Amino acid sequence: MKAVVVLPASRLFAFLCLVSCLGFAGAGDTPKPQAPSSATSLQAGSPQSVTVPGPLRSFLRMAGISQKASEEEVVPLLARNVFLLGYEGPSSRVRPTEFLILLSRYVQQARELSVMAGPEAVLRASSCDEARPLLQVLGYRTRSDCGQPGSYLETSDPQRAFITVDSGFPLPELERALQGGAPFKYEFRSTRVPILFTENDWTGGRNLLDALLRDSSLSRLYWAFAQMDPETQAALRQSPGLKRLQAYAPELDFYGSRLSIRAGHIDLPGGPGAEGTWRDLVGINPQNYGEFVDRLMAKDSGWLAAYFDALSRVNHVQQVHFTESRRLKPFYEALRHQDSPPADAARSVFRPAPGLLLLLTRMQWEPNGEPYIPGNLEVWKRVLRQKAYSDIARDWGKHAHSWNNSEQLLEALVGISRVDTEAGPLQAYLLLSELDAERTSKHRLSPETVALMASRFNQLGDQYLIFSEFPDLDDTSITAFINVATHLDSLNNHYVRGNAIGMFDANVGLWQILARQGQIPKSELNSSWQKVVKQYAAVANSTGVFDAGRNSLRELLIAANGKPDANQDTLIYLLAGPRQTTPEGQTMHQEVAARIRSVLDAQRLVSLDTLIQLGDNLHQVAQVKDRTPGLLLLAGELREFEMPQPIFKKSEREEWGAGVYNNKHTDLEMQTDISKVIKSPASDQQLADARGQLASFLRDTLVGLNYAYYEPPGAQILHHNPLFVRSHDFSGDTVVGMQKVCWRAPQLFGAGSPAGGGAHLVGSLADLPYVLAQAEQDFITPENVQALIWGAVVPGIMTSAVVPRWWSVSRNELHAVSLYQQAGEQLLASSAGNEEVRNKALDILGDRVAPRILDHVRQSLRSGRSDDAMAYLTPADTFYLAAEFQKRFPQQGDALGAPGRDLATLGQQHPEDMTWQRLSRDFGVPHPVLAQSYALELLNLPPFPAFMGYSSRFLAESWDSNNLYWARLADEKDYSPVMLNGLVPELTHRMIEKIFATDLEDWPALLRAERETGEEFRRGKIAPLVAAAGPADK
Amino acid sequence: MTKRISLLTAVVSILGLGWTVKTIAQQAQFQVSVDLVQLNVAVTDNKGNYVTGLKPSDFVISEDGIPEKLAFFAEGNGAARSLIDAPPPDPRTIEASAQAEPATPASATNATDSLSAAVVGSNVYILFDTSNYMYRGFVFAQDAIADFVRSLEKADKVAFYSYSRDLSRAAVLTPDRGEVVRGVRTTVAGDDAALYNSLLLTVKDASQTMGRKVVVVFSNGPDNSSVVPPEDVAELAQSSGIPIYMISTREARLEPVSTAVFERMTAATGGKAYFSKNWRDERKAFESIREDLAHLYSLSYYPKSNSNHGWRSISVKLTGDRFKGCHVRTRNGYRPQPSHFSVGGEAAGTSDSGK
Repeated sequence: MKAVVVLPASRLFAFLCLVSCLGFAGAGDTPKPQAPSSATSLQAGSPQSVTVPGPLRSFLRMAGISQKASEEEVVPLLARNVFLLGYEGPSSRVRPTEFLILLSRYVQQARELSVMAGPEAVLRASSCDEARPLLQVLGYRTRSDCGQPGSYLETSDPQRAFITVDSGFPLPELERALQGGAPFKYEFRSTRVPILFTENDWTGGRNLLDALLRDSSLSRLYWAFAQMDPETQAALRQSPGLKRLQAYAPELDFYGSRLSIRAGHIDLPGGPGAEGTWRDLVGINPQNYGEFVDRLMAKDSGWLAAYFDALSRVNHVQQVHFTESRRLKPFYEALRHQDSPPADAARSVFRPAPGLLLLLTRMQWEPNGEPYIPGNLEVWKRVLRQKAYSDIARDWGKHAHSWNNSEQLLEALVGISRVDTEAGPLQAYLLLSELDAERTSKHRLSPETVALMASRFNQLGDQYLIFSEFPDLDDTSITAFINVATHLDSLNNHYVRGNAIGMFDANVGLWQILARQGQIPKSELNSSWQKVVKQYAAVANSTGVFDAGRNSLRELLIAANGKPDANQDTLIYLLAGPRQTTPEGQTMHQEVAARIRSVLDAQRLVSLDTLIQLGDNLHQVAQVKDRTPGLLLLAGELREFEMPQPIFKKSEREEWGAGVYNNKHTDLEMQTDISKVIKSPASDQQLADARGQLASFLRDTLVGLNYAYYEPPGAQILHHNPLFVRSHDFSGDTVVGMQKVCWRAPQLFGAGSPAGGGAHLVGSLADLPYVLAQAEQDFITPENVQALIWGAVVPGIMTSAVVPRWWSVSRNELHAVSLYQQAGEQLLASSAGNEEVRNKALDILGDRVAPRILDHVRQSLRSGRSDDAMAYLTPADTFYLAAEFQKRFPQQGDALGAPGRDLATLGQQHPEDMTWQRLSRDFGVPHPVLAQSYALELLNLPPFPAFMGYSSRFLAESWDSNNLYWARLADEKDYSPVMLNGLVPELTHRMIEKIFATDLEDWPALLRAERETGEEFRRGKIAPLVAAAGPADK
Repeated sequence: MTKRISLLTAVVSILGLGWTVKTIAQQAQFQVSVDLVQLNVAVTDNKGNYVTGLKPSDFVISEDGIPEKLAFFAEGNGAARSLIDAPPPDPRTIEASAQAEPATPASATNATDSLSAAVVGSNVYILFDTSNYMYRGFVFAQDAIADFVRSLEKADKVAFYSYSRDLSRAAVLTPDRGEVVRGVRTTVAGDDAALYNSLLLTVKDASQTMGRKVVVVFSNGPDNSSVVPPEDVAELAQSSGIPIYMISTREARLEPVSTAVFERMTAATGGKAYFSKNWRDERKAFESIREDLAHLYSLSYYPKSNSNHGWRSISVKLTGDRFKGCHVRTRNGYRPQPSHFSVGGEAAGTSDSGK
C-alpha cells in the first residue's frame, strides 16, 4: 500500500522506508495556533520551560513541526519527530538521519547567532564590515562590490548556508542592507516553551532540548507522556517513575494514551467488575497502579498493553460485551496464543494488529448478547480451514471441528486479528456481518450465500462493498454476481477477459450510482441488478462482450429511465443526478453534467452514441449495405484517437519503462479498422467480429463514465492524460503478480516513471472513488510552506466529499444539522455553570474523545471557559453531543438553549426529516474500510490511531465532521441543499490546501483547516464561487 | 498557442478555484470562440547569433502543409502589430447558439485589442526543484536562480514556484524582483520529486495569463513520483504556446531519462535545455534565455479550415536566399482543445472569457 507520511525534506532520506507521501511545502509567517493539538500537554500554567534558541518559526521549520503548533506542543512534537524520524538502520547500527543532523546543526547555529544577537536579541548589520562575522555564521559572503546596489550575497559555506535558508533566515533583507539600503535589524529572540514536569525529572540536570536530540528512547517517553492527561502523567511520574518507564517507551507511545489514573486508581476496561481478571492477566493488583502499569507494558512484549488499549478505545456498549468475565481472559489468551506468540507489539513503526481494534469496534451482537454469526457456525469452520489463509487462521480452523457455539468463533477471530492482511477470514467475517446487519431478520443471508461469498472472499471481497451498501440485494442477486464473476474469470483470452471484466464492472458501477441516487426504484433493485449482471453470464468472446455490455446498458436505462435506448447525453444527465425542478437545482445539475462531459472529452473517448449505433447496425449484411455511408463516418470516429506526441523512442520505452509502460489495449484500438467490413460485408460472422472489435471502445467509455462521476476536486490526470482511462488494466497483465487480484480494489502503478506513459490503475472499479483521489491528491497545492498533508488521510477526505450527493436533502434537514451543532455548543456553555449537566455532557463525550482531551474540556468548563473547551471538539462531537443529550435527557432540553428549542419545534413539524437514520444517511460519509461499505453513515467514532497499510485509512474514515460543518455553513448562508453538490468538493479542496499537520494522528490539524476554511467562506472569500446561483429563494 | 478569444454577448463567466456554479453548458451556448495560434520564434544564423529586424513577409508558416496567413507580428518586447482587419471567422471553430448575437465588427475589434495585449511583454515562470535530488547543490542553485531573477529585464513579470512532491507557489507573477528573490530565498528542501506533475500545474498557470510567457525549470532531473508523463506536459505547453527552458547540471546527464526528456521537451516547445558544469556556472544559460526573450518573434495566425482534429504540425520557414543557414526554433505543433469547456481541469488557454 501507499506509505503514509510526508516528511520534511532531504534530510529525511532515512525515513523513506517508513513514509513516503507527506508533502512538505514551506514557509510563511503563519498565525499563532488557536486550535488544539494531538500532542499538547494541556498542563495549564506549567511553570517549567526550556529555551528554544532563535525564532520559534525557524526552529519549527527545521524540526518538521507545523507552524500552527502552539508553544505547549513544541517539545512533545520535537520529541516525536526525533524518535520517529531521527534515526535509521538496524538496532545494532543505529545512526542519525540527515533530518536529525541538520536539526542539531541548526540548534548549534542558532545558539551562535543568539550570542551574536546579545542581550537585546537583535542581529544588526549596517555595513559590509559589520556584517562579515554574521555572514560567516550564516555561510555566505559578499561579492567584491559589497555596498553597491548591484551587490549580492553568495554561498561560502554550503553546509551553513543550507541551514540558513532552510530555517528561513531573512537573507534578502540582509542583502538589501548590504546594497546600501537601510541597516539590517533582525530580532533573533529565543523562546521559552513549556515542558512536562522539570528538566531534572527527564535529564537529571542536563538541557532537555539537547537530551531529546540525543536520546531516542527519552524522546519517545516524553511523547508518550504528552499523550496522557495531566493527572495520569503526574501519577506515573510518581510511580513507577520516569526512569523505570523509559524501558517501555515504545509500549507507552502506542498504548499509553488511554491510561487514566484518577486519585490513585487506574480506570480499567470493564470497570471494577473486571478488576479481578486484569489482576490475573497482569499479575499485579490494579490498586497498585504504578506496578500495574509497569507490568502491563512489559507483559508479552506489549501485547497485553495493546489489548488493554484497544478495549479502552471502544465505546461503552462494546466494552461491556468484550470485558465480560467469560471473554476478557480467554480472548487475550487467544490473541497472544501460546503456540505461536506474536512478534513485539511496539517495535515497528506503526501499531500492529489493526484488525483487533476493528473487530472490537464493529462486532455485531445478537439481542441476547451472543456474538452474531452470518450464515452459521459450520460455514465459518470451513472458512477457517481454507488454504488461502494464513497459518494462524488455519491453525484455528484445525480445532474448529469441535466448536458448538459462537463464542468459540469470536475467540478465534480475536486470535487471528493480529494477522496483518487485508483479506483474511476476519475481514470476511466483518464484511459479512456488516452486510447482514442492515437486513431484517427475515432477509438475512442464507448460509449457502454466506459460504459462497466467504469462499470467494479472497478474490471478490472488495466487490462485496456494493452488497453492504444495498442490503436489498438478495441471495439470488448476490449469487448471480458471483457466478458471472467466476465465469468471466475463467475466460482464457486475457484480452477478452480484461474487456469483459472492465465492462461488467463499469456497468455495475453505473448501476450503483443510479441506485444510490434513488433513480432505480427500491422495488426494482433486485430485478434490475439481475438483468444488468446476467447479460454477461454466457460471454465467450469479444462479440459476446460487446453484446453483453450493450444489453446490460439497455437494462440499466430501462431501470433508471424507463426506456431502453438513450444517447450519451441522457446517460450523463441521469448520472448527474435526479431530475431537478428548482432553478438552482437545475443549474447545479447542469454543472455536474458538464463536469462529467469534460472528463470524457479530455480522455478523448469514443461517444457512446457512435458505439451503440455502430453495434446496433452491425448485425445483418443487408442492414449494413443500406447504411454504409453513415456507418463509415461512425467507423472513422474510432480512428480519431492519437497517442500523445512521443518523447521516447520505442527502444527507450522498452529499456526505461520496462514493467510499467504497456498500452497494448490502446495500441490494439488504434489498429482497429472496421471500415473494410462495412464497405463490403461478406457474412454475418464478419459483422459479429467487427462488433467484437467495438468491445474495448465500449469498455473505455463506460469505465470513463465511472471515472468522470467520481472526479476528485482538483483533478488533473483525468484532464491531461488521455491514456488514463484506456490504461486501466482489468486483467492484471501489465504488472507481474497482479493477475490474481483483478477483482480487488485497483492499485496505482507507474507513478514516478517518466518513460512509463503515466500512472494507471490495475484491478477492478471497486473502491474507485478512493483510488482516484489517491492518484490525484498530489495536485492539491498546500497553502502553507512546509505543510504536512499526509497521504493516508487526504484521499479518504476527498472520497467523503465526492461520493455523497445532496439532491434529495430537505431544507429542514440542512437546518437541523446546523441546529444540532449549535445546540451542542450551547450545551457546553450551559454546562460551564452546571455541574450536573456538565457531568452528563462529559459522559457522552467520553465515547468520542481521548481522556486527555476530555480532561481539558472538563477543566475548561469548570473554569467557565466553554469557548476553550469548544476548541478541542469537532463539529461531529457537538452534533453527537446534542443528539445524544436530547435522547438521553429529554426533560433537560433547556440546556440546549434556543437551538434546542428550534430543534424541538422542527422535530414536531417535520419528524420525518429529523430522524437520526435520515441525517446519518444524508450527511454521513462512506466507510469502505471501517464499516466495509460505501453506504453513507455517521458512525460516531473517535479518531482512530495510525496504522499502516490498508488500515491507514481508519483515521480519515473516522473523520465525519466535514460534511456536517459544510452543511452548517450552507445553512448559515441560506443556500439550497442542492448547492452542497458543488460546495462540498470545493470547500473540501480548500480545507486540504490548509492542512498543516505534524504527525500522522494530527486530527486537530484537520479541525484547524476545516475551521479556517469555514471562516474564509463566512468572510465571503469563497462565496463568489457560488454567488452566481446565490442563496436560494425560500 | 491555441487561444480561444471569447466574444461574449451576454455572459460574464465567473472563474474561481476550479468550480463555478454558472453552468458551463449555458456558458458554451452563448460563446463564440475563435482559435488563434501564437508562435514564439527564435531565429539564429549559422553562428548562433540572433537574427533581428525580420519582417512578417520573411516568414512562411504552414499548418499540416496548409499555408497560413500571419495575423499578428511582434519582435522582442515590441508591441504586436495587427496584419489583418479582423479575425476571419472559421465555421468549424466558431460556435454560436441561436441565442447568441452574431459576431459583429465591434466585437471583432475588441478581440483584436485583446490579442494585441496578449502578445506584449513576457511572463517568466520559474520552477525550482527542491527535492532530495537537489540537496547537495541546493544553496548554489538558489544563488543561481536569484542571479537569474535579478538579471531579467524590467518589463518582465516573474513568478517563482518550487516543488518536491507538491508544488509551492512561493511568488505569484509579479514585476517586483525583490518579492521573487524573497520567494527564492525562502524555499525549503523537500523530499520526493514530482517534476512533471508540478510542471503541468506551472504550465497551466502560465497559460491562464495574458501575454507571452515562458517556463524556466531549474532541476537536476529525476522524477520519482509524478503521475502524469512528460508527453502530456509537453503537449499542453505546445498547445498553449509556452516554451520550456530547462537549466540543469551535468549531474543530470548521469540519468539518461531526464536528459532525454529535457532535451526533447524543450525542443518540442521551442525552448532549450542547458547542462552546465555546476550550479555556479549557469551564466551562459541565463544569458541565452534572456537573449531569447529579447529576440523572440511573436507570430500569430488564424488557422485555415483543417479537418484534422488531432495533432497539427506547424512549420515556420524563412523566405529568400539570404536566410540560408539560418535556424528557426519554435514549437512543432499543437493539438486543438476539446470543444467542451472543462471546469476543474480546463485546458490551457481556453478560458480567457471574462478575464
